[in-house]
Amino acid sequence: MNQEEKLPVIDCDVHNGFRSNHDLFPYLDDTWKSQALLRGGGLPLGGGLPYASPIGNKRKDANPPSGLPVGADPDYMIKQLIEPFNVEYAILCSDSMIAVSSFADADYAAAMCRAYNDYLIAEWLPKSPTFKGLLCIATQDPIQAAREIDRIAPHPDIVGVSIIGGSRMPYGQRFFHPIYEACQRNDMPLVIHPGAEGSGIFNPPTAVGYVSNYLEWHSCLPQTYMAHLVSFVCEGVFEKYPDFKVVLSEGGVTWLPPLLWRLDKNFKALRASTPWLKRLPSEYVRDHCFMTTQPIEEPDNPKHLKMMFEMFDAENMLLFSSDYPHWDFDDPTKILKQFPLETKRKILSENARALFKL
Amino acid sequence: MALYPVALEGEIPVGTNIVVEIEGRSIGVYNVNGEYFAIHNYCPHQGAEICKGPVCGTNMESEVYQFIYGRDQEIVRCPWHGWEFDLKTGKSLFSDKVRVRSYPMQIQDGQLFITVGK
Repeated sequence: MNQEEKLPVIDCDVHNGFRSNHDLFPYLDDTWKSQALLRGGGLPLGGGLPYASPIGNKRKDANPPSGLPVGADPDYMIKQLIEPFNVEYAILCSDSMIAVSSFADADYAAAMCRAYNDYLIAEWLPKSPTFKGLLCIATQDPIQAAREIDRIAPHPDIVGVSIIGGSRMPYGQRFFHPIYEACQRNDMPLVIHPGAEGSGIFNPPTAVGYVSNYLEWHSCLPQTYMAHLVSFVCEGVFEKYPDFKVVLSEGGVTWLPPLLWRLDKNFKALRASTPWLKRLPSEYVRDHCFMTTQPIEEPDNPKHLKMMFEMFDAENMLLFSSDYPHWDFDDPTKILKQFPLETKRKILSENARALFKL
Repeated sequence: MALYPVALEGEIPVGTNIVVEIEGRSIGVYNVNGEYFAIHNYCPHQGAEICKGPVCGTNMESEVYQFIYGRDQEIVRCPWHGWEFDLKTGKSLFSDKVRVRSYPMQIQDGQLFITVGK
Protein backbone atom coordinates (compact mmCIF):
# COMPACT_ATOMS: atom_id res chain seq x y z
CA MET A 1 0.00 0.00 0.00
CA ASN A 2 1.50 3.35 -0.91
CA GLN A 3 1.48 6.36 1.35
CA GLU A 4 -1.51 7.95 -0.33
CA GLU A 5 -3.73 4.96 0.14
CA LYS A 6 -3.02 5.24 3.83
CA LEU A 7 -4.32 8.79 4.10
CA PRO A 8 -7.30 8.91 6.43
CA VAL A 9 -10.59 9.77 4.80
CA ILE A 10 -13.58 11.60 6.23
CA ASP A 11 -16.38 10.87 3.81
CA CYS A 12 -18.82 13.77 3.96
CA ASP A 13 -21.62 12.26 1.91
CA VAL A 14 -22.62 8.70 2.74
CA HIS A 15 -26.19 7.53 2.24
CA ASN A 16 -27.72 5.31 4.86
CA GLY A 17 -30.76 3.67 3.31
CA PHE A 18 -34.01 2.41 4.81
CA ARG A 19 -34.64 -1.31 5.16
CA SER A 20 -38.29 -0.79 4.33
CA ASN A 21 -40.90 1.91 3.88
CA HIS A 22 -41.97 1.31 7.45
CA ASP A 23 -38.66 1.93 9.21
CA LEU A 24 -39.83 5.16 10.81
CA PHE A 25 -43.16 3.82 12.13
CA PRO A 26 -41.81 3.07 15.63
CA TYR A 27 -40.66 6.68 15.85
CA LEU A 28 -43.84 8.37 14.63
CA ASP A 29 -46.66 9.31 16.95
CA ASP A 30 -50.12 8.04 16.04
CA THR A 31 -51.30 11.16 14.24
CA TRP A 32 -48.52 10.93 11.76
CA LYS A 33 -48.27 7.15 11.65
CA SER A 34 -51.77 6.97 10.19
CA GLN A 35 -50.84 9.66 7.69
CA ALA A 36 -47.72 7.76 6.73
CA LEU A 37 -49.71 4.57 6.28
CA LEU A 38 -52.09 6.33 3.91
CA ARG A 39 -49.08 7.46 1.94
CA GLY A 40 -47.68 3.95 1.52
CA GLY A 41 -45.07 4.42 4.21
CA GLY A 42 -44.84 8.13 3.78
CA LEU A 43 -41.19 8.35 2.84
CA PRO A 44 -40.20 10.57 -0.05
CA LEU A 45 -38.81 7.57 -1.94
CA GLY A 46 -36.77 8.56 -4.97
CA GLY A 47 -36.99 12.07 -3.61
CA GLY A 48 -40.37 12.45 -5.30
CA LEU A 49 -38.30 13.47 -8.26
CA PRO A 50 -40.01 13.83 -11.65
CA TYR A 51 -37.00 12.09 -13.23
CA ALA A 52 -35.54 8.61 -12.93
CA SER A 53 -31.99 7.69 -13.81
CA PRO A 54 -32.04 5.03 -16.54
CA ILE A 55 -29.21 3.24 -14.76
CA GLY A 56 -30.71 3.60 -11.29
CA ASN A 57 -29.19 5.79 -8.63
CA LYS A 58 -27.31 3.02 -6.80
CA ARG A 59 -24.08 1.21 -7.50
CA LYS A 60 -24.74 -2.21 -8.96
CA ASP A 61 -22.13 -3.91 -6.82
CA ALA A 62 -23.44 -2.69 -3.48
CA ASN A 63 -26.20 -5.20 -2.70
CA PRO A 64 -25.54 -6.49 0.82
CA PRO A 65 -25.30 -10.30 1.11
CA SER A 66 -27.84 -9.99 3.93
CA GLY A 67 -30.50 -9.29 1.32
CA LEU A 68 -31.18 -5.85 2.72
CA PRO A 69 -31.57 -2.99 0.23
CA VAL A 70 -28.47 -1.18 -1.02
CA GLY A 71 -27.15 1.13 1.67
CA ALA A 72 -29.42 -0.29 4.39
CA ASP A 73 -26.97 -2.75 5.96
CA PRO A 74 -24.45 -1.01 8.24
CA ASP A 75 -22.21 -4.08 8.42
CA TYR A 76 -21.87 -4.22 4.66
CA MET A 77 -21.29 -0.46 4.50
CA ILE A 78 -18.39 -0.98 6.88
CA LYS A 79 -17.04 -3.83 4.77
CA GLN A 80 -17.46 -2.17 1.39
CA LEU A 81 -16.69 1.47 2.19
CA ILE A 82 -15.26 2.10 5.64
CA GLU A 83 -12.56 -0.57 5.78
CA PRO A 84 -11.13 -0.65 2.25
CA PHE A 85 -10.99 3.14 1.85
CA ASN A 86 -9.56 3.90 5.28
CA VAL A 87 -12.62 5.92 6.24
CA GLU A 88 -12.10 7.43 9.65
CA TYR A 89 -15.58 8.93 9.76
CA ALA A 90 -18.58 8.54 7.48
CA ILE A 91 -21.06 11.40 7.65
CA LEU A 92 -24.48 9.82 7.19
CA CYS A 93 -26.85 11.98 5.16
CA SER A 94 -29.92 9.69 4.88
CA ASP A 95 -31.00 8.52 1.48
CA SER A 96 -34.03 10.59 0.70
CA MET A 97 -35.24 12.04 3.98
CA ILE A 98 -34.51 15.69 3.23
CA ALA A 99 -36.85 15.49 0.21
CA VAL A 100 -39.76 15.83 2.69
CA SER A 101 -39.23 19.56 2.27
CA SER A 102 -41.00 19.15 -1.08
CA PHE A 103 -44.23 18.04 0.65
CA ALA A 104 -47.06 20.55 1.00
CA ASP A 105 -47.81 19.67 4.62
CA ALA A 106 -45.25 21.39 6.80
CA ASP A 107 -46.28 19.55 9.98
CA TYR A 108 -46.16 16.13 8.35
CA ALA A 109 -42.70 16.90 6.95
CA ALA A 110 -41.48 18.08 10.35
CA ALA A 111 -42.88 14.94 12.03
CA MET A 112 -41.13 12.70 9.54
CA CYS A 113 -37.85 14.48 10.19
CA ARG A 114 -38.26 14.10 13.95
CA ALA A 115 -38.88 10.39 13.46
CA TYR A 116 -35.90 10.05 11.14
CA ASN A 117 -33.57 11.82 13.57
CA ASP A 118 -34.63 9.53 16.42
CA TYR A 119 -34.21 6.51 14.11
CA LEU A 120 -30.76 7.71 13.01
CA ILE A 121 -29.62 8.03 16.61
CA ALA A 122 -31.14 4.71 17.67
CA GLU A 123 -30.41 2.48 14.70
CA TRP A 124 -27.39 3.83 12.83
CA LEU A 125 -25.04 5.89 14.94
CA PRO A 126 -24.40 3.16 17.55
CA LYS A 127 -23.39 0.66 14.84
CA SER A 128 -19.89 2.01 14.34
CA PRO A 129 -17.66 4.66 15.93
CA THR A 130 -16.97 5.82 12.37
CA PHE A 131 -20.62 6.82 11.87
CA LYS A 132 -21.53 10.46 12.43
CA GLY A 133 -24.90 11.86 11.48
CA LEU A 134 -26.53 14.89 9.95
CA LEU A 135 -29.86 15.70 11.50
CA CYS A 136 -32.54 16.32 8.88
CA ILE A 137 -34.97 19.21 8.95
CA ALA A 138 -37.88 20.26 6.77
CA THR A 139 -37.70 23.80 5.42
CA GLN A 140 -41.44 24.57 5.17
CA ASP A 141 -41.54 25.87 8.75
CA PRO A 142 -38.19 27.29 9.84
CA ILE A 143 -39.33 27.88 13.44
CA GLN A 144 -40.20 24.22 13.85
CA ALA A 145 -36.96 23.27 12.11
CA ALA A 146 -35.00 25.40 14.55
CA ARG A 147 -36.68 23.62 17.47
CA GLU A 148 -35.65 20.28 15.98
CA ILE A 149 -32.07 21.47 15.66
CA ASP A 150 -32.11 22.46 19.34
CA ARG A 151 -33.54 19.06 20.24
CA ILE A 152 -31.13 16.86 18.28
CA ALA A 153 -27.88 18.82 17.91
CA PRO A 154 -26.60 18.11 21.46
CA HIS A 155 -26.22 14.40 20.63
CA PRO A 156 -22.46 13.75 20.49
CA ASP A 157 -22.59 11.89 17.18
CA ILE A 158 -24.65 14.53 15.37
CA VAL A 159 -22.30 16.85 13.51
CA GLY A 160 -24.45 18.96 11.20
CA VAL A 161 -27.85 19.85 9.80
CA SER A 162 -29.03 18.65 6.42
CA ILE A 163 -31.49 20.27 4.04
CA ILE A 164 -32.20 19.72 0.37
CA GLY A 165 -31.27 22.06 -2.51
CA GLY A 166 -34.82 22.19 -3.90
CA SER A 167 -36.69 25.18 -2.57
CA ARG A 168 -39.52 27.63 -3.02
CA MET A 169 -37.18 30.58 -2.64
CA PRO A 170 -33.48 31.37 -2.41
CA TYR A 171 -31.99 30.28 0.88
CA GLY A 172 -30.52 33.60 1.92
CA GLN A 173 -33.94 35.14 2.37
CA ARG A 174 -35.11 36.10 5.85
CA PHE A 175 -37.83 33.43 5.93
CA PHE A 176 -35.10 30.84 6.57
CA HIS A 177 -33.04 32.78 9.11
CA PRO A 178 -34.37 30.97 12.19
CA ILE A 179 -32.69 27.83 10.82
CA TYR A 180 -29.33 29.58 10.53
CA GLU A 181 -29.67 31.12 13.94
CA ALA A 182 -30.26 27.64 15.37
CA CYS A 183 -27.29 26.23 13.44
CA GLN A 184 -25.07 28.94 14.86
CA ARG A 185 -26.49 28.53 18.37
CA ASN A 186 -25.70 24.81 18.24
CA ASP A 187 -22.42 25.14 16.38
CA MET A 188 -23.69 22.99 13.50
CA PRO A 189 -22.76 23.52 9.86
CA LEU A 190 -25.66 23.44 7.40
CA VAL A 191 -25.20 20.86 4.65
CA ILE A 192 -27.24 21.39 1.50
CA HIS A 193 -27.65 18.24 -0.56
CA PRO A 194 -29.45 17.86 -3.90
CA GLY A 195 -32.08 15.28 -4.69
CA ALA A 196 -35.56 16.68 -5.15
CA GLU A 197 -35.06 19.84 -7.18
CA GLY A 198 -38.26 20.34 -9.16
CA SER A 199 -40.44 17.97 -7.16
CA GLY A 200 -43.51 18.70 -5.05
CA ILE A 201 -43.87 22.30 -3.96
CA PHE A 202 -40.37 23.23 -5.12
CA ASN A 203 -39.61 25.55 -8.00
CA PRO A 204 -38.50 24.00 -11.30
CA PRO A 205 -34.98 22.57 -11.24
CA THR A 206 -33.59 25.09 -13.73
CA ALA A 207 -34.20 28.78 -14.30
CA VAL A 208 -35.89 28.00 -17.63
CA GLY A 209 -38.11 25.28 -16.24
CA TYR A 210 -38.22 21.50 -16.38
CA VAL A 211 -35.52 19.81 -18.41
CA SER A 212 -36.54 16.51 -19.99
CA ASN A 213 -34.44 13.88 -18.29
CA TYR A 214 -32.17 12.92 -15.43
CA LEU A 215 -29.01 13.63 -17.44
CA GLU A 216 -30.03 17.25 -17.90
CA TRP A 217 -31.42 17.57 -14.39
CA HIS A 218 -28.25 16.28 -12.78
CA SER A 219 -25.98 18.43 -14.95
CA CYS A 220 -27.92 21.59 -14.11
CA LEU A 221 -27.82 21.16 -10.32
CA PRO A 222 -25.20 23.92 -9.98
CA GLN A 223 -27.85 26.43 -11.09
CA THR A 224 -29.72 25.85 -7.86
CA TYR A 225 -26.56 26.15 -5.79
CA MET A 226 -25.47 29.33 -7.54
CA ALA A 227 -28.75 31.02 -6.69
CA HIS A 228 -28.65 29.85 -3.06
CA LEU A 229 -25.02 30.90 -2.62
CA VAL A 230 -25.47 34.38 -4.07
CA SER A 231 -28.55 34.76 -1.90
CA PHE A 232 -26.75 33.67 1.29
CA VAL A 233 -24.05 36.27 0.74
CA CYS A 234 -26.14 39.18 -0.48
CA GLU A 235 -28.89 38.82 2.10
CA GLY A 236 -26.23 39.26 4.76
CA VAL A 237 -26.63 35.83 6.35
CA PHE A 238 -22.90 35.69 7.14
CA GLU A 239 -22.93 39.19 8.63
CA LYS A 240 -25.95 38.35 10.75
CA TYR A 241 -24.59 34.93 11.80
CA PRO A 242 -20.82 35.31 11.78
CA ASP A 243 -20.10 31.75 12.97
CA PHE A 244 -22.51 30.08 10.55
CA LYS A 245 -21.01 27.68 7.97
CA VAL A 246 -22.56 26.17 4.86
CA VAL A 247 -21.55 23.06 2.93
CA LEU A 248 -22.70 22.76 -0.68
CA SER A 249 -22.80 19.01 -1.15
CA GLU A 250 -22.77 17.14 -4.46
CA GLY A 251 -23.36 20.20 -6.59
CA GLY A 252 -20.06 20.39 -8.45
CA VAL A 253 -17.06 22.52 -7.70
CA THR A 254 -15.59 24.25 -10.74
CA TRP A 255 -18.49 26.64 -11.32
CA LEU A 256 -17.52 28.56 -8.19
CA PRO A 257 -14.63 30.82 -9.31
CA PRO A 258 -16.38 32.39 -12.34
CA LEU A 259 -19.53 33.00 -10.30
CA LEU A 260 -17.51 34.78 -7.61
CA TRP A 261 -15.69 36.89 -10.19
CA ARG A 262 -19.04 37.96 -11.51
CA LEU A 263 -20.48 38.63 -8.08
CA ASP A 264 -17.47 40.67 -6.92
CA LYS A 265 -17.51 42.70 -10.11
CA ASN A 266 -21.18 43.52 -9.76
CA PHE A 267 -20.79 44.32 -6.08
CA LYS A 268 -18.26 47.06 -6.89
CA ALA A 269 -20.97 48.93 -8.75
CA LEU A 270 -24.03 47.84 -6.82
CA ARG A 271 -22.87 47.67 -3.21
CA ALA A 272 -25.52 50.18 -2.16
CA SER A 273 -28.09 47.35 -2.62
CA THR A 274 -26.37 45.45 0.19
CA PRO A 275 -24.78 48.09 2.43
CA TRP A 276 -24.43 45.53 5.23
CA LEU A 277 -21.68 43.71 3.33
CA LYS A 278 -18.35 44.89 4.69
CA ARG A 279 -16.14 42.81 2.42
CA LEU A 280 -16.21 41.53 -1.14
CA PRO A 281 -18.77 38.74 -1.61
CA SER A 282 -16.05 36.22 -2.47
CA GLU A 283 -14.43 36.81 0.92
CA TYR A 284 -17.60 35.72 2.73
CA VAL A 285 -17.76 32.60 0.59
CA ARG A 286 -14.14 31.75 1.32
CA ASP A 287 -14.69 32.09 5.08
CA HIS A 288 -18.12 30.52 5.44
CA CYS A 289 -18.63 27.99 2.66
CA PHE A 290 -17.39 24.52 1.81
CA MET A 291 -18.08 22.19 -1.09
CA THR A 292 -17.97 18.42 -1.23
CA THR A 293 -15.93 16.97 -4.04
CA GLN A 294 -18.18 14.33 -5.54
CA PRO A 295 -19.03 14.17 -8.41
CA ILE A 296 -15.73 15.79 -9.22
CA GLU A 297 -15.56 17.30 -12.70
CA GLU A 298 -13.38 15.33 -15.12
CA PRO A 299 -12.04 17.56 -17.88
CA ASP A 300 -10.32 15.81 -20.81
CA ASN A 301 -7.08 17.40 -19.71
CA PRO A 302 -6.62 16.70 -15.97
CA LYS A 303 -4.44 19.78 -15.66
CA HIS A 304 -7.51 21.89 -16.22
CA LEU A 305 -9.00 20.65 -12.96
CA LYS A 306 -5.83 21.68 -11.19
CA MET A 307 -6.08 25.11 -12.78
CA MET A 308 -9.65 25.50 -11.59
CA PHE A 309 -8.58 24.56 -8.06
CA GLU A 310 -6.01 27.38 -8.21
CA MET A 311 -8.77 29.88 -8.92
CA PHE A 312 -10.30 29.61 -5.45
CA ASP A 313 -9.24 28.44 -2.01
CA ALA A 314 -9.87 24.81 -2.99
CA GLU A 315 -7.48 23.22 -0.55
CA ASN A 316 -9.30 24.80 2.40
CA MET A 317 -12.86 24.78 1.04
CA LEU A 318 -13.20 21.26 -0.33
CA LEU A 319 -14.36 18.23 1.64
CA PHE A 320 -14.02 14.76 0.23
CA SER A 321 -17.22 12.83 -0.39
CA SER A 322 -17.86 9.50 -2.07
CA ASP A 323 -21.69 9.52 -2.24
CA TYR A 324 -21.63 5.81 -1.41
CA PRO A 325 -23.60 3.79 -2.44
CA HIS A 326 -24.87 5.94 -5.27
CA TRP A 327 -24.06 5.43 -8.96
CA ASP A 328 -21.69 8.38 -9.23
CA PHE A 329 -19.38 7.25 -6.39
CA ASP A 330 -15.89 8.81 -6.28
CA ASP A 331 -12.89 6.82 -5.07
CA PRO A 332 -10.70 8.84 -2.63
CA THR A 333 -7.52 7.24 -3.96
CA LYS A 334 -8.30 8.20 -7.56
CA ILE A 335 -9.83 11.65 -7.79
CA LEU A 336 -7.00 13.84 -6.43
CA LYS A 337 -4.04 12.15 -8.07
CA GLN A 338 -2.50 15.28 -9.55
CA PHE A 339 -2.47 17.19 -6.25
CA PRO A 340 0.32 17.46 -3.67
CA LEU A 341 0.11 15.25 -0.59
CA GLU A 342 -0.72 18.12 1.78
CA THR A 343 -3.59 19.29 -0.41
CA LYS A 344 -4.92 15.74 -0.50
CA ARG A 345 -4.64 15.40 3.25
CA LYS A 346 -6.67 18.57 3.79
CA ILE A 347 -9.37 17.69 1.29
CA LEU A 348 -9.59 14.03 2.31
CA SER A 349 -9.88 14.64 6.04
CA GLU A 350 -8.43 17.71 7.72
CA ASN A 351 -10.92 20.28 6.46
CA ALA A 352 -13.84 18.10 7.52
CA ARG A 353 -12.22 17.31 10.85
CA ALA A 354 -12.00 21.01 11.66
CA LEU A 355 -15.44 21.89 10.32
CA PHE A 356 -17.33 19.06 12.01
CA LYS A 357 -15.05 19.10 15.09
CA LEU A 358 -14.21 15.42 14.78
CA MET B 1 5.29 70.66 -5.97
CA ALA B 2 3.39 73.35 -7.77
CA LEU B 3 0.30 75.37 -6.95
CA TYR B 4 -2.11 76.03 -9.77
CA PRO B 5 -4.90 78.58 -9.48
CA VAL B 6 -8.13 77.02 -10.70
CA ALA B 7 -11.01 79.30 -9.72
CA LEU B 8 -12.18 81.97 -7.34
CA GLU B 9 -14.22 81.00 -4.33
CA GLY B 10 -17.82 81.47 -5.32
CA GLU B 11 -17.23 80.36 -8.89
CA ILE B 12 -18.01 76.77 -7.92
CA PRO B 13 -21.33 76.78 -6.05
CA VAL B 14 -22.05 74.09 -3.46
CA GLY B 15 -22.88 70.77 -5.12
CA THR B 16 -21.18 71.61 -8.43
CA ASN B 17 -17.80 71.08 -9.96
CA ILE B 18 -15.55 72.32 -12.72
CA VAL B 19 -13.01 70.40 -14.78
CA VAL B 20 -9.63 72.00 -15.44
CA GLU B 21 -6.56 70.97 -17.41
CA ILE B 22 -3.29 71.03 -15.45
CA GLU B 23 0.00 69.72 -16.81
CA GLY B 24 -1.96 67.82 -19.42
CA ARG B 25 -4.10 66.19 -16.74
CA SER B 26 -7.85 66.59 -16.50
CA ILE B 27 -8.84 67.36 -12.90
CA GLY B 28 -12.25 67.89 -11.38
CA VAL B 29 -12.72 70.42 -8.59
CA TYR B 30 -15.80 69.85 -6.42
CA ASN B 31 -17.52 72.02 -3.85
CA VAL B 32 -18.79 69.54 -1.27
CA ASN B 33 -20.97 71.44 1.17
CA GLY B 34 -18.55 74.40 1.18
CA GLU B 35 -15.30 72.38 1.18
CA TYR B 36 -13.27 71.94 -2.00
CA PHE B 37 -11.80 68.68 -3.27
CA ALA B 38 -9.93 67.82 -6.45
CA ILE B 39 -9.78 64.43 -8.17
CA HIS B 40 -8.20 63.12 -11.34
CA ASN B 41 -10.87 62.89 -14.03
CA TYR B 42 -9.93 59.26 -14.66
CA CYS B 43 -11.58 56.22 -13.14
CA PRO B 44 -9.01 53.63 -11.96
CA HIS B 45 -11.23 50.86 -13.30
CA GLN B 46 -11.39 51.40 -17.06
CA GLY B 47 -10.42 55.04 -17.44
CA ALA B 48 -13.82 56.67 -17.84
CA GLU B 49 -14.04 60.43 -17.29
CA ILE B 50 -15.31 60.14 -13.77
CA CYS B 51 -16.28 63.80 -13.51
CA LYS B 52 -19.11 63.10 -15.95
CA GLY B 53 -20.66 60.93 -13.27
CA PRO B 54 -23.35 62.07 -10.85
CA VAL B 55 -22.54 63.48 -7.42
CA CYS B 56 -24.76 61.75 -4.91
CA GLY B 57 -25.11 60.13 -1.51
CA THR B 58 -25.36 56.43 -0.85
CA ASN B 59 -26.52 53.73 1.51
CA MET B 60 -23.99 53.74 4.30
CA GLU B 61 -22.59 50.70 6.07
CA SER B 62 -25.43 49.25 8.11
CA GLU B 63 -26.87 46.25 9.87
CA VAL B 64 -28.48 43.54 7.74
CA TYR B 65 -31.73 44.73 6.13
CA GLN B 66 -31.16 48.34 7.23
CA PHE B 67 -30.90 51.11 4.68
CA ILE B 68 -29.38 54.36 5.90
CA TYR B 69 -28.97 57.01 3.24
CA GLY B 70 -26.21 59.47 3.95
CA ARG B 71 -23.11 61.32 2.79
CA ASP B 72 -25.25 63.30 0.40
CA GLN B 73 -23.14 65.16 -2.19
CA GLU B 74 -19.96 63.44 -0.96
CA ILE B 75 -19.89 60.59 -3.46
CA VAL B 76 -19.11 60.65 -7.16
CA ARG B 77 -20.36 57.67 -9.12
CA CYS B 78 -18.46 56.67 -12.26
CA PRO B 79 -20.64 57.29 -15.32
CA TRP B 80 -19.72 53.92 -16.84
CA HIS B 81 -20.00 51.17 -14.22
CA GLY B 82 -21.34 53.00 -11.22
CA TRP B 83 -18.38 52.55 -8.88
CA GLU B 84 -18.71 54.94 -5.94
CA PHE B 85 -15.81 57.14 -4.82
CA ASP B 86 -15.54 59.34 -1.75
CA LEU B 87 -14.86 62.85 -3.05
CA LYS B 88 -13.08 63.73 0.19
CA THR B 89 -10.48 60.95 -0.02
CA GLY B 90 -10.70 59.49 -3.51
CA LYS B 91 -11.28 56.04 -2.04
CA SER B 92 -13.79 53.67 -3.57
CA LEU B 93 -16.52 52.51 -1.24
CA PHE B 94 -15.76 48.81 -1.76
CA SER B 95 -12.01 48.88 -1.10
CA ASP B 96 -9.54 51.27 0.46
CA LYS B 97 -6.99 50.10 -2.07
CA VAL B 98 -8.99 51.21 -5.07
CA ARG B 99 -9.05 54.97 -5.39
CA VAL B 100 -9.25 57.82 -7.82
CA ARG B 101 -6.24 60.08 -7.49
CA SER B 102 -6.96 63.13 -5.36
CA TYR B 103 -5.07 66.42 -5.08
CA PRO B 104 -4.77 68.70 -2.05
CA MET B 105 -6.38 72.13 -2.33
CA GLN B 106 -5.57 75.45 -0.76
CA ILE B 107 -7.46 78.73 -0.53
CA GLN B 108 -5.48 81.98 -0.44
CA ASP B 109 -7.26 85.32 -0.49
CA GLY B 110 -10.35 83.85 -2.11
CA GLN B 111 -8.37 82.00 -4.78
CA LEU B 112 -8.54 78.20 -5.04
CA PHE B 113 -5.30 76.37 -5.80
CA ILE B 114 -4.59 72.74 -6.60
CA THR B 115 -1.31 71.19 -5.51
CA VAL B 116 0.18 68.92 -8.14
CA GLY B 117 3.40 66.94 -7.74
CA LYS B 118 5.47 66.37 -4.63
